[in-house]
Amino acid sequence: MSDAVALNLVLFLPLLGAALLGVSPAGRDDLVRRLTLAVMVVQLLLTAWLYARFDSTVAGLQFETRVPWIEGWGVSYQIGLDGYNILLVMLTAFLGPLVTAGAFSAIHKDVKLFYAMVFLIQFAMMGTFLAQDLFLFYVFWETMLIPMFLLIGIWGGERRIYATIKFVLYTAFGSILMLAAVIYLVYSLQTTSGVISFAFADLVQARLPLEVQSWLLAAFALSFAIKVPMVPLHTWLPDAHVEAPTAGSVILAGVLLKMGTYGFMKLGFPLFPDATQLFTPWLMTLAVVSIVYGACLALVQDDIKKIIAYSSISHLGYVMLGLLSLELAGIQGAVIQMVSHGLVAAGLFLMVGMIYERCHTRELAAYGGLARLLPVYSVFFMILTLASVGLPTTSGFTGEFLVLLGAFKAAWPPYRLGTDGLPLALAVVAVSGVVLGALYMLRFALSFLFGATKAPHQPLADLNGREKTILGLIVVAVFALGLFPDEPMRKTELAAKAYRQLVNTPRLPRALP
Amino acid sequence: MIARDMLLAMLPEHLLLLGIVLLVGLQIAGRWQRAALLVALLSVAAAALAALRLSVSGYAAAPFAEQFSVDPATLLAKAMVIALALPVLLMSHGQFEDDPAHPHRAEGEFAILLLSSLYGVCLMQSADSFLTLFLGLEMMSLPVYVLVLLAYRRPQSAEAALKYLVLGGAATAMLLMGASLLYGSTGSLSIATFAAALGSADPMARAAVVLVILSFFLKGAIVPFHAWAPDAYEGASVPVTAFMAVVVKAAVLLAVVRLFGQASVGSPMLELLAVLPLVSIVWGNLAAMRQPGLRRMIAYSSIAHAGYLFLALLGSAAGRLQAVAFYVLAYGLLNLLAFAALPEAAEDRERDRLDALKGLFHRAPFAALMIGIAMLSLAGIPPFPGFIAKFLIFKNVMAAGHTTYAVLGLVGSYLGIYFYLRVIQFMFMSPDASGASAATTRRLALGASLACLAAAAWVAVFPGWVIARL
Repeated sequence: MSDAVALNLVLFLPLLGAALLGVSPAGRDDLVRRLTLAVMVVQLLLTAWLYARFDSTVAGLQFETRVPWIEGWGVSYQIGLDGYNILLVMLTAFLGPLVTAGAFSAIHKDVKLFYAMVFLIQFAMMGTFLAQDLFLFYVFWETMLIPMFLLIGIWGGERRIYATIKFVLYTAFGSILMLAAVIYLVYSLQTTSGVISFAFADLVQARLPLEVQSWLLAAFALSFAIKVPMVPLHTWLPDAHVEAPTAGSVILAGVLLKMGTYGFMKLGFPLFPDATQLFTPWLMTLAVVSIVYGACLALVQDDIKKIIAYSSISHLGYVMLGLLSLELAGIQGAVIQMVSHGLVAAGLFLMVGMIYERCHTRELAAYGGLARLLPVYSVFFMILTLASVGLPTTSGFTGEFLVLLGAFKAAWPPYRLGTDGLPLALAVVAVSGVVLGALYMLRFALSFLFGATKAPHQPLADLNGREKTILGLIVVAVFALGLFPDEPMRKTELAAKAYRQLVNTPRLPRALP
Repeated sequence: MIARDMLLAMLPEHLLLLGIVLLVGLQIAGRWQRAALLVALLSVAAAALAALRLSVSGYAAAPFAEQFSVDPATLLAKAMVIALALPVLLMSHGQFEDDPAHPHRAEGEFAILLLSSLYGVCLMQSADSFLTLFLGLEMMSLPVYVLVLLAYRRPQSAEAALKYLVLGGAATAMLLMGASLLYGSTGSLSIATFAAALGSADPMARAAVVLVILSFFLKGAIVPFHAWAPDAYEGASVPVTAFMAVVVKAAVLLAVVRLFGQASVGSPMLELLAVLPLVSIVWGNLAAMRQPGLRRMIAYSSIAHAGYLFLALLGSAAGRLQAVAFYVLAYGLLNLLAFAALPEAAEDRERDRLDALKGLFHRAPFAALMIGIAMLSLAGIPPFPGFIAKFLIFKNVMAAGHTTYAVLGLVGSYLGIYFYLRVIQFMFMSPDASGASAATTRRLALGASLACLAAAAWVAVFPGWVIARL
């Protein structure tokens, strides 16, 4: 089997799985669960195999497939792995089986439809990361909405309808403006250079006036910033997280939010470098505001899902800061931070789901002293909490440290012409986010695991084998990324350099001779 | 040769006429009425195939000079619109069983009227003069007024049909007035005079153009000429609503594209052709949010879709037909899919209430999935064909330099997402409130929805293949 075929298989396996579920006999929920898990594991193994074969010394696409799709429009079905997406593809494939297994005991209503939706969203997420053609990217990007809409709306909590409609309307608004920008971008490329193409590689050649770049970047940025989400466009996230079933939260926090930052890195900034220079102070400020504001809000929540939801806003602020620093360390740190947050937030949401299945409440005040009641659970929870805080040896440390390093490097010397010391001030404020992060996560863990013993239902059963396996895998990944970050960083290094190069090179139209 | 051309060029029309004659015969004989549907299906399918076959072979002819001509593009459009009537016929089976003594009589009546209307549709697509165009438009519309009445078990039907008739008459009057003004200034009835008058500064020509455009706005249900649509759609029975929303709309829009010919739209008609469709998009989508009935909702949604379609006229002449034809195809297939999948209910009004869809996924999962797919496609969410259709239209409008209108149209289309999602929310997320027993979709309607689904899937996966042929 050639590598390109394997990559296509990675993309289409979930769709195949959904079709299999469609024809599977009715009323056999256990069969559905096992089938889903099996397909997800196969996808993970295939992805891991490709990950191992990925050559980190080659810049650009590997395992590429390119077939014309809508020929008259220059749209092609083009997918491939590169340094931008390899870690995120790996993360998506890694979380697939965990989400599936995590929902075994939680979902008893419309099981078949549920796993079909999990398959569909897995397909759409993979496609978004792998797509190398803007049209294809947009199709996958939007397709993601549908299964998520149903996941939250059917299996969610009490206010699920409100939350899911809000989620779709927020994201769709960004997307519709992005669509206008996509059409305009392709059309301008066609009029200026005569090439009609949606391929990323062709689109980065477009030379547009600053004004056009600014409008287009604004449209792209709105769409991506909603997905990240960046303050002040974040209000859909706490609602969606709180009302979503565990699997929905895990997918949302684990992968979906990274679509926004990945979009900025792969498309938004490299396509419009001159506008990016112009927007950088604003976007950086918003990123730091997200870090601090998210952390402050996480500090005062009494719903445990909301704490993690707001912490996500804070953690993704770091990713944005790293990407905007345009320092190699910052960019690579941003990528590591994406993966790290994907693992840690997914793990924490899974753990919240596990305790919710036992006690049926998400109120922080209802819990206390779980360390004595559920020792194994508490150990896992503590590890993930510390990883979220960014303790050295965990993945959270690698990401945050590199991002801050990049931010400070970019801000030095502090009084460069025209910067007013803003980058330095922002970097300093961003550091306070680390402290705040420790504060809210430790407050959470403290009242959750320690203190007076209370739990809504006693006695509680500690984690079973399935749950231990799920969390064990996540914890191993968290430590692996924390202790041995150089292997994944080597894989992304060339892409980070390419990104920096693209964003640093002005691309205004050539002056007339 | 001219006789051969008369036979060949009008072969789809002849086949439809043959069907009508046979159906009338059956109706007069009063026997074998069960066969009416079969005869109608065969004749429509044969007409569609004939048009397709002629189009593929590159046939072009003008058997009646300056009145009627065909070329491959026209024939393909004809084939497409005729084929869209097939699912309508399939879903009409068992819809009009009012008279127990003659269970299939109304079905025969329905088929005759539908085929007559299709004959008018075909004429419109080939019209070279305003005379033929007028003839086609009337032949298409008159049977539809009666079709709306066919659901006579409901009191609103008569009111709806009357409203439709009166407003349809107004549209006809405007078209005739416009055509006579054009005739007065140019001395010709050819539709080419319209395209020539588009950019003219002469007040009379301008008045003529505005009148003709407004008459098509009325037929296509563009705000503020849309008021008939919700009533007519609601008053009619499901197959008739489907026919109006899909076939009639498609025919009107394709005829408009033919009328515009190679002319590009400039000021001052640009504003008329941009603003009213944009208002339709916004108003249709907003009003649809508040509708308690499915058919009224679809009516407002079709007002919004008419807005997109008329907006397509702003695009360059070359891409116009392609964009409109593709849109009409995608929109038609998915609308028909939704209508065909609609489960049976004891009472027609019951069937129309959106509330009746609550919990449908648990009663009829297949129907719920079909309707869900249709709604998402109508909302223009990828990967469904509705998205590509919308993309094509806005791409052309933007390429013609009307960026602001395209962006406004896209933002307007965003408003529509909510009410389409609400249907899905009712079907999948609400508890079963209707108390209805497990709904059964009828077998022929099921076949119709499967056929539409297959065609829609083809369009979604191979849009390039379809576009290249339009």
